[in-house]
Amino acid sequence: MARRMNPGAPVLTRRGFLVASVGAGVGASLAFGFPRGAAAAMDPAVPGGMPPAETEPLFEPTLWFVIDGEGWVTVNIIRAEMGQHVGTALARILADELGADWGKVRILHVDTDPKWGLMVTGGSWSVWQSFPLFSRAGAAGRVALIEQGAKLLGVDPSACRVENGTVFAGGASIAFGEIARRGALDRRFSAEEIEALPIKPASERRLVGRPVQALDIPPKTDGTARYGIDAKVPGMVYARPKIPPTRNGAKVNGVDDSAAKAVKGYVGSLVLDDPSGTVPGWVMVIAQSYPAAIRAADLVRVDWTPGPTSAVSEKDIQDHAAQLIAQPDAGAVLDTGGGDTAAAFKAAQSTLEQTYTTATVLHFQLEPVNALAFEKDGVFEIHTGNQWQSLILPTLAKALGRPETGIVLRTYLIGGGFGRRLNGDYAVPAALAAKALGKPVKMVLTREDDARFDSPRSPSVQRLRMAFGAGGEVTAMEHDAAAGWPSQVMTPSLMPKGANGVLYDPFSISGADHWYSVGAQKVRAISNDLANTAFRPGWLRSVGPGWTNWALESFMDEAAHHAKEDPVAFRLKLLDAKGRNAGSAPNAVGGALRQAEVVRRAAARAGWGVPLPAGTALGLATSFGQERDMPTWIACVARVRVDRASGVVRAEKLTLVADAGTVVDPDGARAQVEGAALWGLSLALHEGTVFERGQVKDTNLNSYMPLRISDVPQMDISFVDSIEVPVGLGEPATTVVGPAIGNAIFNAIGARLRHIPITPDAVRSAIG
Amino acid sequence: MLKRTLIGLMSLLVIGGAGFAALAWRPAIAPITPPAASSFAPDLIARGEVLAGAGYCATCHTAPGGAPYAGGYAMQTGFGTIYSTNITPDPQTGIGAWSEDAFRRAMHEGVARDGSHLFPAFPYDHFTRLTDADVAALYAYMMTRTPVRAAPHENGLPFPLNLRPLQAGWKLLFFRPGRYVEQPERGAAWNRGAYLAEGISHCGACHTPRNALGAEERGNAFAGAPIDHWVAPPLTKANPSPVPWSQDELAAYLRRGVSRFHGVAAGPMSPVVHDGLARLPDADIAALGVYFADVGQAAARAAEAQPAIERALAVNAHGPGLPYDPIARLYAAACASCHFNGGGQVNALRPDLALNSAVSLADPTNLIRVMLYGVTAREGAPGIVMPGFAPALSDADIARIAAYLRASRTSHPAWPDLEKTVAAVRAQGRGQE
Amino acid sequence: MIRFTLNGRATMVDVDDDTPLLWVIRDEIGLTGTKFGCGIGMCGACTVHVGGRATRSCITAAGSVEGAEVTTIEGLDPHGAHPVQTAWKDLQVPQCGYCQSGQIMQAVALLKDFPHPSDEEIDTVMTGNLCRCMTYVRIRAAIRKAAEANHG
Ligand code: FES
Ligand code: FES
Repeated sequence: MARRMNPGAPVLTRRGFLVASVGAGVGASLAFGFPRGAAAAMDPAVPGGMPPAETEPLFEPTLWFVIDGEGWVTVNIIRAEMGQHVGTALARILADELGADWGKVRILHVDTDPKWGLMVTGGSWSVWQSFPLFSRAGAAGRVALIEQGAKLLGVDPSACRVENGTVFAGGASIAFGEIARRGALDRRFSAEEIEALPIKPASERRLVGRPVQALDIPPKTDGTARYGIDAKVPGMVYARPKIPPTRNGAKVNGVDDSAAKAVKGYVGSLVLDDPSGTVPGWVMVIAQSYPAAIRAADLVRVDWTPGPTSAVSEKDIQDHAAQLIAQPDAGAVLDTGGGDTAAAFKAAQSTLEQTYTTATVLHFQLEPVNALAFEKDGVFEIHTGNQWQSLILPTLAKALGRPETGIVLRTYLIGGGFGRRLNGDYAVPAALAAKALGKPVKMVLTREDDARFDSPRSPSVQRLRMAFGAGGEVTAMEHDAAAGWPSQVMTPSLMPKGANGVLYDPFSISGADHWYSVGAQKVRAISNDLANTAFRPGWLRSVGPGWTNWALESFMDEAAHHAKEDPVAFRLKLLDAKGRNAGSAPNAVGGALRQAEVVRRAAARAGWGVPLPAGTALGLATSFGQERDMPTWIACVARVRVDRASGVVRAEKLTLVADAGTVVDPDGARAQVEGAALWGLSLALHEGTVFERGQVKDTNLNSYMPLRISDVPQMDISFVDSIEVPVGLGEPATTVVGPAIGNAIFNAIGARLRHIPITPDAVRSAIG
Repeated sequence: MLKRTLIGLMSLLVIGGAGFAALAWRPAIAPITPPAASSFAPDLIARGEVLAGAGYCATCHTAPGGAPYAGGYAMQTGFGTIYSTNITPDPQTGIGAWSEDAFRRAMHEGVARDGSHLFPAFPYDHFTRLTDADVAALYAYMMTRTPVRAAPHENGLPFPLNLRPLQAGWKLLFFRPGRYVEQPERGAAWNRGAYLAEGISHCGACHTPRNALGAEERGNAFAGAPIDHWVAPPLTKANPSPVPWSQDELAAYLRRGVSRFHGVAAGPMSPVVHDGLARLPDADIAALGVYFADVGQAAARAAEAQPAIERALAVNAHGPGLPYDPIARLYAAACASCHFNGGGQVNALRPDLALNSAVSLADPTNLIRVMLYGVTAREGAPGIVMPGFAPALSDADIARIAAYLRASRTSHPAWPDLEKTVAAVRAQGRGQE
Repeated sequence: MIRFTLNGRATMVDVDDDTPLLWVIRDEIGLTGTKFGCGIGMCGACTVHVGGRATRSCITAAGSVEGAEVTTIEGLDPHGAHPVQTAWKDLQVPQCGYCQSGQIMQAVALLKDFPHPSDEEIDTVMTGNLCRCMTYVRIRAAIRKAAEANHG
């Protein structure tokens, strides 16, 4: 996920800030008839997720937070919480600027209301995107509090400062709560004023960059945190779907539920009629309890006519990708600064070409997808965990045949996102069933259902080529990548045009447009239409770079060996920050030099060049994260031990160095890198499935085997100190571990692996 | 226990004619008015209660959810279903009209008060060993229970197998009546253990193989046998458990249902321990330990114990160290968190699968059964459960884990056709508890 | 009718014996801290204690806990301040948090059997608990910290 998905991202002038004191109960949520906060939002920091009542009167200087008469600062969070402690991170930015007392800050995950604007959580950019917005919101609040506080204290505003939830003027002081209680604020900032608001220099920050306890953590240790699967309303029935044999195009010919009738609590089976086309061929099995729904669904027989892809295999998908790559005019060409690669290859002294592949990968987020849907007072409520409310609302409107304003999504905590819940398709069948039955329906997918209904990461094929001049210097590079495209299937209108006028999915190619100076460069993104019809390709943690960087960084190593150079030295030479790789403000200051720096540091920390026992070696890979225009610079050195006889690869240690600009939350940042790096390891050595007869082959943990605690290597994670713009950390580390391991295997035993996941069998056959 | 006992009704083919009829005939013993409860001495009743426990009378003579001792418990046999009888002192439907003589004849000779022959599902071939005094105590206990009016259930045996006189032929062939004979040179504890095991507790009824006519094979006592979809392991030195059953291990197991080096009392053995032997005093449990340690020749195998434990702990140390073998990963994820032992110790509540009897038995049934259906809180080690993987894992996965355990934790040959066996055990269902 | 003790309270539920304990706890009784992840006993999200031992409730038949003592994450400590929970908070272990009830219940049971767990003991016993957010580094550290706290 990247910034391009959010063309209207944080533009401060779009709404301006309203600074006004609001009367009792006047809340935005009233548009849908809910009392403010109470029924329409989630507070992950309190048991049961119910926000505590605020003590009136309320002081609501901006849309983003409110201060109550007790001095509690409640920060409104439009991002979904799925482990990144996003509410804490955002609240901390705002509270720091505001001068709040951290002990009196709460977070509130709001419902969908048009006033919040675009609601999407992904691409590791929640913090990046919100930093200026929340800083200025805090600053606006501080200015307003100082003005009012000064008035109440009878001093000049210039004599006031704010700290710990209190306005001080010399020896006198007044707390936020009292200002809220006594104040009658009415103050507006123009767009220009907001832009001009003074933001604290880094040296004056009290919360940002310091260790702070995340507000959502205690409820996640005592069972009180509420996830979508915990949602309930009186009178609801449970549903489990019968999922058709193909994701697209299946039709129900008949349903035989005679055997299911013996199940106590079985209510009936419902063939869904879905005007939005999201869940064709679905049958919902309804029961009074979920175990009854599970059992009954096993007994219901559905006669389907499957869609046309019911025989498709992984090999079919990959063969098709290879054919597309072989067609020179297929796909979109990215603007990578031009250069005539064809001519360069013709003139080359030598060339190198390799093909890399990756397998289908499941999200396998631990909480299977689920949704509770019901109509109440003319509004359709959907209770679920979702990363991209704005994407699914129009689909729900179409499915239910009602305007978006008649639907509200209540976002719960997310038991693992990793991109799965960007695609809110699972809300649709629950809503349709609730509409058809006229009562609340809680749909939960079993793990097997969830795997079969997943929007997996598409398998991919990539061909990389490099041309070398007489002196061994790199003169040109081509990178062709073919995969199923999530954007084409789910958000076609957000696809940009390539240099050749062809629309493309930026998420499925980003990473290939790297910061190495390679002379003429051509990057081609190709949509695998067979993948797009056989399943619904999804965004999976790090998306495109999950495969592009596997190919790129494996290839860079191969190129270094081709040029008879040390892989680290080879990379550093190409990371010269010349031309388009120089970088620019605000997000990419320093450009490729910052990438070179993390490479250098990671190599040094890991002991690059120090001899190791036979069968053990280091391998390095680096990345700029997700997008050229919001780079997170990262490098990883993997130390692996390879057992030649069995082909077993054991990752012994991962050394990671990241430059993510300002680190708002050091502990959280480390947690994100730990998680992302281990995901990368899991993708490299442990998990992955294949399509078989139109379906993913592995649907549960008896055969899908992600990384577990005993697989965890030693980890050395460090950050470059920086005061640059903060950028995301949830994904970049995912993409460097795989190629670092592949490169380490080569350094250990001289065998090159070009497919992930790397299996012992593959290692043995690569040894030959 | 005896639920699956075969019945030698085939004797019809062996013996015929009038002579047989004469032999088969036994007189009825006159009915009595049930004696008043107060006519039995309390300590006699108390002793009877212990013996009734040790004989698991309630287990077989109580239908699920029914009144104690009122009968109606269904026993599946190879020939059909037999229902246990009402042994409460109800004069019409129970044994209220039975005199002590009639009761003793039933216990010692397998003949009902009315002269009809009892099916050997009732283990009179063991009870015949009981002293008259113990039979008197049992009589006192049974006659002081609350009478329950419960008519006997029609047995589901087909003609002619339902003809009770035919049982006489079976008796002629296989039944050796007679009281237990002390072997003084073996010592008091051994004799007490043998008396209990061979008599009231009828251990051989499950643990001794039976011949085609359903009689225990005399020369093969305690050699192990299939029972109620389980396997009753051999109690002789043929027992394949890596750690031999010592006197203390046996006593601990029979007392608490858990043995550190063998596993827990699951399946039909669970009520033996928890409902039956639980009534016996510690001294009797210890005596059973002495006796079976001798049957299994534990002393001769004692030296095997420590090396076996060390080997088991060494296998544990592999733990998840086989991270890319999918079967080992399956085991690591599904089983190891409960079954792993570390720190040089075997914890009885972390049953060690390198030591567990079920993994070493020639027949995988017990292991598969426990994997599929688990162990409830009332069985095995009381209060804790093993979940059942029947709804979770396929036959193939269960078979893979079982094969992996067999290969990685024992030196016994692989079990053949495992997946089919899993399917068969699954088809039998959870079975009666 | 199945009777057992749940978090110290006598409990009675009217469900079929083979109903998974997980759904009895979550839906019949309404304690939702225990989570559903895989349903086949291989992720540990549903871990509760039965008789003090970590047990996967998704494959435990309700009937099999008749008479037993069941403890869920909600019953571990009245203030959520069991030493393991405290270590979890101190080291900020949870990310999405979904697996963490199960991790904590498993860790508490681990420390009962292995009061001074070695790395291998931690890894082997905790391997049945999947954390898809991969908080494993912190889980290890928090277990060590809780073990120290236990022995002061
Ligand atoms: S839900 Fe029970 S172990 Fe996964
Ligand atoms: S914290 Fe998300 S699954 Fe463990």
